[in-house]
Amino acid sequence: MTNTTSFSYEPSEHEAEKASNSYLMSLIALIVGLPLPIINLIATFIFFVGNRKGTYFVRWHCTQALLSQFSILFINSFGFWWTVSIIFTEETISSKYIAYLITALIFNLTEFIATIYTAIQTRKGIHVEWWFYGNLTNLICKSK
Amino acid sequence: MKKLIIQSFIGVLLFFSTWFALAQIDWVSIFNTEKVTDKTEEKLGTLFWDIIKKTEKENKTPSVIATVDTIVNEICVANKIDRKSIKVHIIEKDEINAFALPNGHLIIYTALLANSDSPEELSGVICHEIAHIELNHVLKKLIKEVGISVLISTTTGNRNTEVIQETLKTLSSTAFDRGLEKEADIKAVDYLIKTKINPEAFANFLYKLSDTEKETIKYLTWINTHPESKERAKYIAEYYKKKNTTYAKILNTKTWNKMQEDLKIATQN
Repeated sequence: MTNTTSFSYEPSEHEAEKASNSYLMSLIALIVGLPLPIINLIATFIFFVGNRKGTYFVRWHCTQALLSQFSILFINSFGFWWTVSIIFTEETISSKYIAYLITALIFNLTEFIATIYTAIQTRKGIHVEWWFYGNLTNLICKSK
Repeated sequence: MKKLIIQSFIGVLLFFSTWFALAQIDWVSIFNTEKVTDKTEEKLGTLFWDIIKKTEKENKTPSVIATVDTIVNEICVANKIDRKSIKVHIIEKDEINAFALPNGHLIIYTALLANSDSPEELSGVICHEIAHIELNHVLKKLIKEVGISVLISTTTGNRNTEVIQETLKTLSSTAFDRGLEKEADIKAVDYLIKTKINPEAFANFLYKLSDTEKETIKYLTWINTHPESKERAKYIAEYYKKKNTTYAKILNTKTWNKMQEDLKIATQN
């Protein structure tokens, strides 16, 4: 899921710390935002806006941290509203619903582990590109 | 860019295939969610039926019971419904009404029997109520009206008589959601067709009762609680006209007339 590649330059200690923080930020937001998935997207977005004028390495990782939230946002939002409809409407708990929750859990867990791993690696100044999101970030985030 | 599209496609596919694969497992029975509701439903059914039994008079005329039983049996056999799951009770009352209670209890008032012009009309109403039972509408309605916590506490000892009475009133004299009513109507037509009963009689019954004069309307509970009868009759007619089936008589006229006569005698007494 993740791929360690060399970045176009060697990031400084300060840059590595900031880049790593963007993942920690998204991690905390992910935990807080579990019941209301939009929260983690907003939190990461605020962090992204704050660092948009940072160095290339910091910008790159802030962008990847933000983009990686999107898939989880959709998965969790759907699960959230499904649960709400079960509680408040005539919807009942079905095998399909439980299967969805397990799938969402697997994807959340994968994202969680990948985020922790990337936070550790970026802190060491190692550049980690995620599957799909790495390529997407490369497309969006360019060195000036 | 092409790589990105392929990767996003694989990602989406991975998600949906995981979901699909996991959905093949019967999680509901693994987690026993159905068992809990089944038990609650059983207890609620008994609770409500006990109240009706105490407060109302049951009609036990053999010809009446036999006639209704024959109709219910035919419908159940033709539609592969477990006959034992439908518990029919006939109550002496001058309201034209029939309703379903939890756990398959089906209450039919004698006025409904007396005001049905043919066994086919009665079959339509019975099919509609069986559809509510089979589609699990009764518990859904109860959960919506009184909440799951009240329902569970009612079955676990906290027997607030007022709450039970009110809930029973909701079941017998208020309609389901429009969507659920339509679903039950369509299912009822399917049941009728499979039993080879002409659904036209059911549609006509709705027309007939909606046209009845205003003085009698207070007794037409089944129609009052099922609004827009004409509209219902219309979509029922549209639905069954699409299906080409040959129909048969569910009961012979003699049996039906005997039941009507016995009903009259029972009411006079």
